[in-house]
Amino acid sequence: MIKKKKLQEASIPTSSMADIAFLLLLFFLVATVIDVDTGLGLTLPEYVPPEERVEIKVDPERLVAVLVNEQGDVLIDGEIVSIFQIKNLIKPKLLARVEMPLNKKIIVSLKTDRKTIYNQYIAALDQIKLAFFEARDEVSLGRFGKRFKDLTTEQQDQMKDAVPIIISLAEPEQIK
Amino acid sequence: MHFQKRRAGTKQEIPTSSMPDIVFMLLLFFMVTTTLREVDVLVQFKLPEAQAIEKIENKRLISYLWVGKDKRIQINDSIVKLEEVEPIMYGKRQVLPNVIVSLRIDQGVDMGLVMDIQQALRKAYCLRVNYSATLKI
Repeated sequence: MIKKKKLQEASIPTSSMADIAFLLLLFFLVATVIDVDTGLGLTLPEYVPPEERVEIKVDPERLVAVLVNEQGDVLIDGEIVSIFQIKNLIKPKLLARVEMPLNKKIIVSLKTDRKTIYNQYIAALDQIKLAFFEARDEVSLGRFGKRFKDLTTEQQDQMKDAVPIIISLAEPEQIK
Repeated sequence: MHFQKRRAGTKQEIPTSSMPDIVFMLLLFFMVTTTLREVDVLVQFKLPEAQAIEKIENKRLISYLWVGKDKRIQINDSIVKLEEVEPIMYGKRQVLPNVIVSLRIDQGVDMGLVMDIQQALRKAYCLRVNYSATLKI
């Protein structure tokens, strides 16, 4: 008599699959860096060779010259102030020129010494940008009753026209 | 008398057969979103803090430039000299015309070097920069 061999049912144990998947999942969860790049954006002026440079006279009323020296002292229009006062000094000037055309808007010129610490420069630039942002917020609160970031794109464009961010980096001087 | 316990006829188990599928879906999501760091940062730096920071929306446009505590400059995977910044960045601009240069500069570096890098970027026509900073709380 031939006994038929009982065939074992072929099956892959899948009960631990979830565990394996969880392990992999954990690995990727830990390894994922969802880092957002944040920072202060700026558009540098185009490079013009020195011999081709043309001096354009800018109305001194428009220009706010911010100078940061190597000790971190700030000079705004001839006055010595601390870095944290920059914002409050620039903001009223911006707000005063909201209704004026583009060629009358405030230009902030930022200049540093070669020995100024980068941190000071960023702090100064931060203050200047804050002044622009807060001015925008105030104008948009007055006009639309909302903050700048809550406006629609067209309204934001309108606000950008009212308070354009014009920051100029002074041409570095030749090394003496 | 014999009481028969009344029990609800429904099963009290949570069906776990589809759990691997769900987990695999999550897994796939994370696998797709993970970007393992492509470059090794060779310089040591501590970013400055600022309040008026913005996010860079388009990550594909970003090109990084590191400056460490010891004033070494790194682009891509290698330490470069100051004079090499301009040709490298010019090459990058040819590939990506509206490249944004994210400047990851240590907070203690002096501005002379930063100005020199900026001049190099200007000559290379990489005009959009972003001074990388962390949020000041």
